[in-house]
Amino acid sequence: MRRRDILAGLAGLGAAAACAAPAVAAPEKRAKPFRIYMALFRGWEECAQGFKDYFTNQGIPVELIVRDAAQDKSKLPEFVAEAKSLGVDLVFTWGTTVTQEMLGTIDSVDPTKHITHIPAVFAIVSQPVGSKMVPNLKSSGRNITGTSYLVPIETQVNLIQSYRPLNRLGIVYNTLEKNSVGAVDELTELGKQMNFTISAVPVDLVDGKPSVTTIPAKVAKVKADGVDFLYIPPDTFLNVNRDILTQAALDQKLPTFAAAENPVLNSMALFGGVYRYYTVGQLTAYKAEQILVHKKAPADIPIDPPKRLSLIINMPVVRQLGFYPPMNLLGLAEINDPDARP
Amino acid sequence: MKLDSSRSLLIRLFILAVVVLVAPMTLISLRAMGEFEQGMNPEMDKKAAAIGRDVAAQVDRAVGYGIPVDKLVGVEEFFAPVLTANPEIRYLAITDKIGRVLFLRGAEKDELEPHYQAADLEMSSAEGIKASIGTYLDLALPVAPRGNLIAHVHVGFDQGYVVSKLHDILYDVLVVMAASLIIAFEILLFVVFFNVTGPLKLVGEVVERARHGDLSHVPGGASGDEVGRFVRAVAASIRNVDDLYRQLMAYIDEVRTAHFDKGVVEKVGDVEARISFQFRFSNTGKPLVLHQRRATDIRLPLFLFVFAEELSRAFMPLYVREVGQSLFGLSPEMIMALPIAVFMACIALASPFSSRLIDRLGARRVFLIGLVPAIAGYVMTGAAVGVIDLVLWRAITGLGYALVTMACQSYILGANHHSNRSQGMGVFVGAVLTASICGTAMGGVLAERVGFRATFFVSAVLVLLAGIVISHMLDSAAPPAAVAPQPRRNTMRLFTNWRFSVLMLFAAVPSKMALTGFLFFLVPVILTQGDWQVAEIARMVVLYPLVMVVVLPLAARLAEYPGWRIALVALGGLIGGGGLLTSLFLPSELSMMIAIAALGLSHGLSASPQLAMIPDLCWTECRNMGQTNVLAFVRLVERIGSTVGPLLAAAFIPVWGVDGAVVALGGVVLAMAVLFAGASLAYGTGPHIEAEEDLA
Repeated sequence: MRRRDILAGLAGLGAAAACAAPAVAAPEKRAKPFRIYMALFRGWEECAQGFKDYFTNQGIPVELIVRDAAQDKSKLPEFVAEAKSLGVDLVFTWGTTVTQEMLGTIDSVDPTKHITHIPAVFAIVSQPVGSKMVPNLKSSGRNITGTSYLVPIETQVNLIQSYRPLNRLGIVYNTLEKNSVGAVDELTELGKQMNFTISAVPVDLVDGKPSVTTIPAKVAKVKADGVDFLYIPPDTFLNVNRDILTQAALDQKLPTFAAAENPVLNSMALFGGVYRYYTVGQLTAYKAEQILVHKKAPADIPIDPPKRLSLIINMPVVRQLGFYPPMNLLGLAEINDPDARP
Repeated sequence: MKLDSSRSLLIRLFILAVVVLVAPMTLISLRAMGEFEQGMNPEMDKKAAAIGRDVAAQVDRAVGYGIPVDKLVGVEEFFAPVLTANPEIRYLAITDKIGRVLFLRGAEKDELEPHYQAADLEMSSAEGIKASIGTYLDLALPVAPRGNLIAHVHVGFDQGYVVSKLHDILYDVLVVMAASLIIAFEILLFVVFFNVTGPLKLVGEVVERARHGDLSHVPGGASGDEVGRFVRAVAASIRNVDDLYRQLMAYIDEVRTAHFDKGVVEKVGDVEARISFQFRFSNTGKPLVLHQRRATDIRLPLFLFVFAEELSRAFMPLYVREVGQSLFGLSPEMIMALPIAVFMACIALASPFSSRLIDRLGARRVFLIGLVPAIAGYVMTGAAVGVIDLVLWRAITGLGYALVTMACQSYILGANHHSNRSQGMGVFVGAVLTASICGTAMGGVLAERVGFRATFFVSAVLVLLAGIVISHMLDSAAPPAAVAPQPRRNTMRLFTNWRFSVLMLFAAVPSKMALTGFLFFLVPVILTQGDWQVAEIARMVVLYPLVMVVVLPLAARLAEYPGWRIALVALGGLIGGGGLLTSLFLPSELSMMIAIAALGLSHGLSASPQLAMIPDLCWTECRNMGQTNVLAFVRLVERIGSTVGPLLAAAFIPVWGVDGAVVALGGVVLAMAVLFAGASLAYGTGPHIEAEEDLA
């Protein structure tokens, strides 16, 4: 039943609009474009591209000032100062770290350290409420808004179950990241309701940092624990080391499900249920448009995910594992197959 | 069906109705079906090809991604919605290059594989190859990524599908035709009886009296037509004679007072005495108007009313399931059974109240009063939003049903006060049975074409029609003869008569339990599980009144011999219970048919004798409490069986499943029938035993 719901939901979503972009009358040509300061964390990627393309497609002139922290948290105070001195119209922040550091959490916001007077939109923040960016998803209550990008965890489990029955789910995670720990807790709780068990193995910490080299051994341990799938949480450390993680799973003949798109699209995870970064970027740009063009207050714009869910299946991995998706799922999924035959 | 003395006229009218109705209906139906069949076949071919291509394209895509065709996952689940959405497609299959069945849903592998392996599908074109396999029509479409044939997708049609669809339509047409004929005939009967036969019989009665010198009555209730003019002419003639008589009497009085001649007075006195001896005139100063209530007058409104109730016979539990599935933690089966039981219970509870009301207000007004809850009940049942309100609306309908049917019975009994009472009840039973046959069958067709809810609205309209007929008809009739209300005694005392108790508990109650528990409740529930359409279920249920209508008159004739009565009742019980047990050793559908027919036979055999036994068994009670009260009590006890039946069946389902519930119910009924048969064998039958008891 649940499985059919999910499939029906996916089918419906396919028909829905790519994002919440409404038909907005093209604004009058402005001599001066809007200036948007884009603070990124891992370089230019799909979300930033979707953000940029939205303005191009809508014919809204913008001047983008792009800065990349390259995963270095220490650069962020400089960005804050720069954005303030440039007097930009809007700030775009990418990811939980950048957003927290530049905009401040609800309990720590400080006008001297954070951007408060310039409206801001954030994207790719896994848990906008959990990371204390906003008190709830209806309104930030301050001069910011944004998008969420994670598929609800129950929907993710339903997706896994629609691939094959799930009795035991394995997770290799990083104890230092809230996203990972939160996912383990949520899945453990959900497993009680949905009748599956969890085998969660943390990556070893060496000098207070998660150790990359221990990943394969942890995957092997999870596999030995008799799991059906390996779950990859939305975790920056695992995301960066996705090749090592997914290769290890592949070596263990362990199918992987990813909560984010990168491990599926750009690595060797088997499949994933995600909101595409590109779509999230477009939706974030739509919210920016509401602020800049339609002069809506950011506090009046709710934080929500795109309407369309994507199920991505990584065909090379499917073939390598010989672990084939059911026909019904195949009909609904986006297939990632770089060496697809014509 | 009692056709009264105007039998030949009615038969001729009936034949006329058959010719007028059947010929054009048959013509139209045949033409429509011809076009349906012509249009259906190419459509089916197109549909098979479209579905096959779609399935093949998805298989092709999967194979294109490198999934080996024999390693496809979830193919059956992938086929399932396609098969559900297209009932004419019997199976979907995927075979490999050499014709081995890899995946198949909807048929047996052994049926198809030999054919696939024998067939040469290598050369198949993109349009696919059609083949006939047994009862299937198989369309094979190639899966050939990059021109390399690796598999075939097979779409299997049922060759009999078009034929079976045609049969369905044909049955529906037949049902509608038969029902229209019966309705037409009922209306004919009514028109003829009410406008022609009735008044003429009345005139006949008056003329017959006049022939014997009784000129005290004139026929009443003349209408504006030829018959009415005739009736008025007869009345006028009699009034004329009456006037002459009164003039003569006045003259005689005059002569008596004026003449003192003894001889003349004596002579005149002689004349007067002769006239008084030979003729009878009304002593109220003018002729009395004679009205006659005839049982047949009530037949059409009663028919329409019962027809309305029977429309939902075949699908009531299914409707309940559609409306709501949860109520106070009751099992779903119990919820489905509840409205039937409540309806029956309401009839039972409302019956004593109805008969008191009839005593006070007369049958006609109670009939009209009863229509109000009935119409409201049907409309609201059709608009029900949940189980609770549905049960309430059925309860209200039950109240209306009790009022109306009791009013009809009372009218009929009153009408036949002096003549044959059982003939009057024959009119009642006849109307109920024909309405049951037509209503159930038509209800199935209606529900399938317009839906459950709309069918209830049709019921409401029919009840309204019954009301219109009755208000027009009984307008002109005389007010009900004031039947002296029978003294009401504690009828529970009847149970101290153990022969009566045995008859009730082991014959009357189980027979009703089988009727409501099995026929009204289990049959729709079971047949719908076997994917039967509502119209098909209805045709099955109709077997019951059909068999009954055949058996009833025969049994009624046998029941005139008291020696047969108890044997018939015992035999009926055994047949009914035994019929329910056939599912133990016969396939479900056949056993169902046998059980329904057996139930019809059982009730046909036992209904009249059972009723006829009451005055014998309860001779003293009937004399003390009044036969009407005793019979009313019998009905009440029977209805307890009607109420318990569906609840008992529903309680069995969670324990033994639906088929098991039939057997269990059959077991209960049969056990009671055996007890009854044993008791009647041991203690003998025959009127002399009762007679002895009476003396004791």
